[in-house]
Amino acid sequence: MQPKLKSKVRCADREVGEVTRVIVDPLSREVSHIVVGDGAGALEREIPAAEFQTVTEDAVQLRATSSEMTQFPAFQREGYVTIREVEIAHLEDHLHVEAGEVLVPVPELERNVKRRTFFTNFTHAIGFLLALPLAFPVLKYVMKPMYAPFDNRWIKIGNAGKIKAEDVGVQFKFKKSVKEAFMPEAEVDKNVWVLKASPVVLEGVYRGKDLEFKDHSGQVIWTNKRDVPYVAYSGKCPHLGCGYKWRNVPKLGRQIFLCPCHLSIYDPSGKVLDGPAPRPLDPVPIRVAANGEIEIIDVEFKAGTRAQIRIV
Amino acid sequence: MNGQPSVLEKVVAFVDERIGLKTLQAKMLNEPVPGGSRWAYVFGSCLLFIFIMQAVTGILLMFYYVPSADHAYASTQYIIHEVDYGWFILSYHFWGSSVMVVMVFAHMSQVFLWGAYKKPRELVWLIGLALFGLVMAFGFTGYLLPWDQRAYWATTVGVEIMDKTPLVGDFMARFLKGGPTPGQMTLSRFFVIHVMILPAALMGLAGLHLFLFRKAGPAGPFRGSVEELRARTDYFFPRQVWKDVVAMGAVFVTICSLAFIEPVVLLEEATPDPGDYHPEPEWYFLFLFQMLRLKMFSGELGQFVAGVAIPLGFMLFLASLPFIDRSPERNIFKRPIALVGWLIVMTGILVFTISAIINREFLD
Repeated sequence: MQPKLKSKVRCADREVGEVTRVIVDPLSREVSHIVVGDGAGALEREIPAAEFQTVTEDAVQLRATSSEMTQFPAFQREGYVTIREVEIAHLEDHLHVEAGEVLVPVPELERNVKRRTFFTNFTHAIGFLLALPLAFPVLKYVMKPMYAPFDNRWIKIGNAGKIKAEDVGVQFKFKKSVKEAFMPEAEVDKNVWVLKASPVVLEGVYRGKDLEFKDHSGQVIWTNKRDVPYVAYSGKCPHLGCGYKWRNVPKLGRQIFLCPCHLSIYDPSGKVLDGPAPRPLDPVPIRVAANGEIEIIDVEFKAGTRAQIRIV
Repeated sequence: MNGQPSVLEKVVAFVDERIGLKTLQAKMLNEPVPGGSRWAYVFGSCLLFIFIMQAVTGILLMFYYVPSADHAYASTQYIIHEVDYGWFILSYHFWGSSVMVVMVFAHMSQVFLWGAYKKPRELVWLIGLALFGLVMAFGFTGYLLPWDQRAYWATTVGVEIMDKTPLVGDFMARFLKGGPTPGQMTLSRFFVIHVMILPAALMGLAGLHLFLFRKAGPAGPFRGSVEELRARTDYFFPRQVWKDVVAMGAVFVTICSLAFIEPVVLLEEATPDPGDYHPEPEWYFLFLFQMLRLKMFSGELGQFVAGVAIPLGFMLFLASLPFIDRSPERNIFKRPIALVGWLIVMTGILVFTISAIINREFLD
């Protein structure tokens, strides 16, 4: 039990006064001392907790005799602050020194309220009903631009005359016009890599099958014929969507596609030679006119998946 | 004049009478620091200081910055080249974010090594982890706003990584991008996240973090008897406040110096053709970037493991730490697993970051 304020303090022989203050240790949060005075402003003394023999509801019994009281130091108020002026975590949990409870009356109207739980639940229900009709509109509001139809336009990217050798990656940069939501129509730079493929490489790309490209609905919009020697790869690395380059690597003794981001390496047929890429380079729909003009459809696939999942 | 209160004293007394200002101030400043003030405790205050400065410089940047695909780059260039001291405000904001990440690592390491995440401070630790996530999200979203090539490609790759989360990945990536590919919608979304959602979340959670910290009380040193600690205990003010202020000054000088020595320079305007640019994230994401280069993290599964499972798993592990590690022992030299674990994680991040930088030269 902790000593209480105003409790009587008794020495072995007689009563010496009352508890005027309680001192708490900020680390252990336990009562470390009491201050004993006669309540009339006479000298107060600090008595350590070790001196307590017994502590009851209204009295503290000390081991010392009244004549020994002078050995305890006089209480110096300036050495302390009140617990209102300092922040000690969980002090209240440890402290039970109040002289008694301090009370305020409960308002008359609150005294006989029934169904408190009902009111609480009803408040929650109203909040829920207010929020519910908002959830779907808000979700649709933020989802507005997330799913756009595929863009199946053919885009002119340049002339095949630029390609001088077989199985060499040649970058074709092109401008693509985009019209996004409320924005004015703008042009963005994009690129594809075009290859005039030898029969061996062509076989590596098509594996004996024509390559179909589909719309949302699954309808085929174009088929790359396996005997057309021009192959165009999307400029987007199938690993995580960076732009890859055509590089001569003397150590390998050959030229390869290299992505500088995570170092995926592809051979001219798009096959992954090394690095983290989950699938080969993505061929895009290509058609070459008699005069050598190349057109493509700028399809894009989701990066990082084993399967090709068209997103643009 | 003697004995008569001054006008200022009257104003203070007026406010104090109404809201108990002096008691409040006393409570704020009179917090016993067990074992006394230390330089090791300055990181939290420094983070608060950096955040306030980021808010101030961020608001200043918004005087000129326009978050649209056709004006973001031009308005950022305008801030750098035309607006008086614009280069400095922008560079301060840029370097402030890097220093903030360093400070977050220092703060978390201090708390971890001191065992201060243990009972009864679990909630402080959990909110701290959420704040760590917010700081990283600030870095990621802010990086796109100048709308140059560096910005565009860091975002492209970063969002692709998020896309690898099972089930919700595609939705999350499209939600952030506002479409299948980065563009105006991405910029709008990153902007509102960066300047509204994250600051509001950070202010709320930082307030909660401080409140919970004050509720639980400072942990103090991990060794020393109660008598030793009591003998060295002081209040938050003045000794700890003094150390905090000195550290804030050092942080301020460091950020200013970095802004002067290495002011922000933009690359070409963002476009889906990277040209000669080798995409790379900001340095504090480099270790993750480098990890994704490893053969063992190749393919669909590998990317999920390195890009999503490991970072997420690590955060979940940190969150469950105070509930797994329930021994009250806080001395780091008596917690060998914790010490070795911390060393491994720090060394791992360092090694991956350095190897990413070495790889840079190999690519050029």
